Amino acid sequence: MILRLNTDVVAGLVGLAFAALLWLPHGSMGRLSILFPRAVLVILVLLSVVLIIKGFIRPGERRVEITGSPRRLMVVAIGFFVWWIAINHIGFLVSTVVAFYALTWYLASVEGPVSWHRLLRWSPAILLLVGVFYLTFKEVLNIRLPAGFLI
Amino acid sequence: MEMLLQALSSVLTLESFLTVLVGVTLGLFIGSLPGLTATMALAVLLPFTFSMEALQGLIALGAVYMGSIYGGAFTAILINTPGTPSSIATTFDGYPMAKQGRAYEALAGATMASVVGGVVGVIFLLLLAPPLARLAVAFGPAEMFWVAMLGLTLVASLSSGSLLKGLLAGCIGMMLSTIGVSPVGGETRFTFGYPPLQGGIELIVALIGLFVIPELLTMAAEGRGAIPSGGELRKRELSIGRIARQVFGRPANLIRSCLIGQLVAIIPGAGGNVTSLVAYNEARRFSKDPKSFGKGNLEGVVASESSNNVMVAGSMIPLLTLGIPGAPPDAIILGVLLLHGLRPGLDLFTETGVLTNGFILSMGLAALMLLPIGLLGGRIIHRAVIRTPYYFLVPSIAMVTILGTFALRNSIVDVGIMLILGTAGYFLRLIGIHAAPIVLGLILGGIAEQGYVQTMLAAVADPVPWLRLLQNPLSKILAGLVLVGAATALIPIWLERSGRLARVDQEPNAPGDQKEET
Repeated sequence: MILRLNTDVVAGLVGLAFAALLWLPHGSMGRLSILFPRAVLVILVLLSVVLIIKGFIRPGERRVEITGSPRRLMVVAIGFFVWWIAINHIGFLVSTVVAFYALTWYLASVEGPVSWHRLLRWSPAILLLVGVFYLTFKEVLNIRLPAGFLI
Repeated sequence: MEMLLQALSSVLTLESFLTVLVGVTLGLFIGSLPGLTATMALAVLLPFTFSMEALQGLIALGAVYMGSIYGGAFTAILINTPGTPSSIATTFDGYPMAKQGRAYEALAGATMASVVGGVVGVIFLLLLAPPLARLAVAFGPAEMFWVAMLGLTLVASLSSGSLLKGLLAGCIGMMLSTIGVSPVGGETRFTFGYPPLQGGIELIVALIGLFVIPELLTMAAEGRGAIPSGGELRKRELSIGRIARQVFGRPANLIRSCLIGQLVAIIPGAGGNVTSLVAYNEARRFSKDPKSFGKGNLEGVVASESSNNVMVAGSMIPLLTLGIPGAPPDAIILGVLLLHGLRPGLDLFTETGVLTNGFILSMGLAALMLLPIGLLGGRIIHRAVIRTPYYFLVPSIAMVTILGTFALRNSIVDVGIMLILGTAGYFLRLIGIHAAPIVLGLILGGIAEQGYVQTMLAAVADPVPWLRLLQNPLSKILAGLVLVGAATALIPIWLERSGRLARVDQEPNAPGDQKEET
């Protein structure tokens, strides 16, 4: 998918928005704490303004290309965040097994429909992979993985 | 000399060989998992060394350290994910090489460079420990500020297209490094009242997010694996001799990178990530073909990997002589030394010289062991990455990154930060703001801030406080190097834009072209 976009102007606006986001809560900070961030913020704002001006006078790239399927991109990105939230509430093991199956099924279906038989054939590999990493981190590395209301 | 021979005989035993073999293999495995750092590898394996003799325990930890720093190169090359922060610069050329079907060439080159780096580091440590340690204490806050600035000149080479966007990305990275508790004032900054942000944004969390998540999203959107299946080992690639000729055919790159690695390694707090970035930048600057960097030049991989492995033994210099850990994993080694009643200083090289020299020599052995283990392991992991269908690869990598990110601080918030940064990183990449300069800013921001603020604090009574940054001879030299670095990075860009470089390129070709015609 190709989008028509003046990347210089957009990059400048992103820089200004980021600077504004961090500049607003600086009021209550002491001199030593704000000394360095203030210097960087000033440079950030200057660079952003120069980029915006350059975008109008001598623009660089004026189009942005998202390779592949934007729909798949968004679904997987949202899927990662759902997985993250699920880990905290359901527990690492269960949410990871479910997320692994869901992602594998969704991504494999690009090549054609995925039958239940095929998904079952993959089960040993998926369960072994998740199980080995779960046990390694929990038992060997002693990491307390989120348990949620399941496991 | 007698002590050195005694140490050598204590290392050349079957027990030591097995310890090094197991240590390097374990380190390589842990280092290749995104999020699991060399420090974590050492911390996890530390309790196992308690029951060992002092020398065997130190040999095990040295081998794990060496293996984990090298292991980071595997994922850096194969899936564009630095296994450890020391491998950031390896991704710049390693992954493009993998995408061109030259993954094994990059892996073998990285292995050879790591072996050379490891051995050179050990030689430096054996011969130059006391004089280099004296140099280490000469680095005060002002000098550290200039070291960070020197690293920031790398932004010009990482900007890929627009210098302004590269600088903007560097500033964003530096601002991200200021989130959390201020290193000098001790105040909480930019947390928006959200307490979990007080710990700041951990470098590894940002690193994993900015490098891995955009790659996973691209793989998912394009419906392809990390590297094309055409990247199967070709017969031509299998020739280790040909790759060795490429690596050792340009010794200047290796020597320069090892020297940079050693110099940066002795500065406490700089670490392997700064080392490899500076070495990569210099390799690009001195190359006859700087434009090929970032597009799959083996020299870039060699520079990064040789310098970060020099750092393993190199950072032991301030540790063993002054008790100052040169890099975070060294702090764990210091703990083991103290546990066995060994105090850093001259006594370590005289009274317990056999033990100390044995430990140093074992690191050389670990570096040599990287060659067979790395070449074999590289081939196996390469084959596994290519043959795994992308619909398995994407969730597998995502699971390991989530686990690795969580394990850093047992924090689910870190996983969220990683995902937010990664998703933002994907869209920022579309508008020309790349991950590498952001990460560079994040690494150097903390070092620069501490140096800058401490210097300003010391100069509070001076009429012009900023001049304190240039008061010492060493800081003047470093400031000069920053200027030279910035000029050599910016002048070619300016020449290219103004069209002068094209004219210079054409002029020497002209007579040759005429000769061919006649």
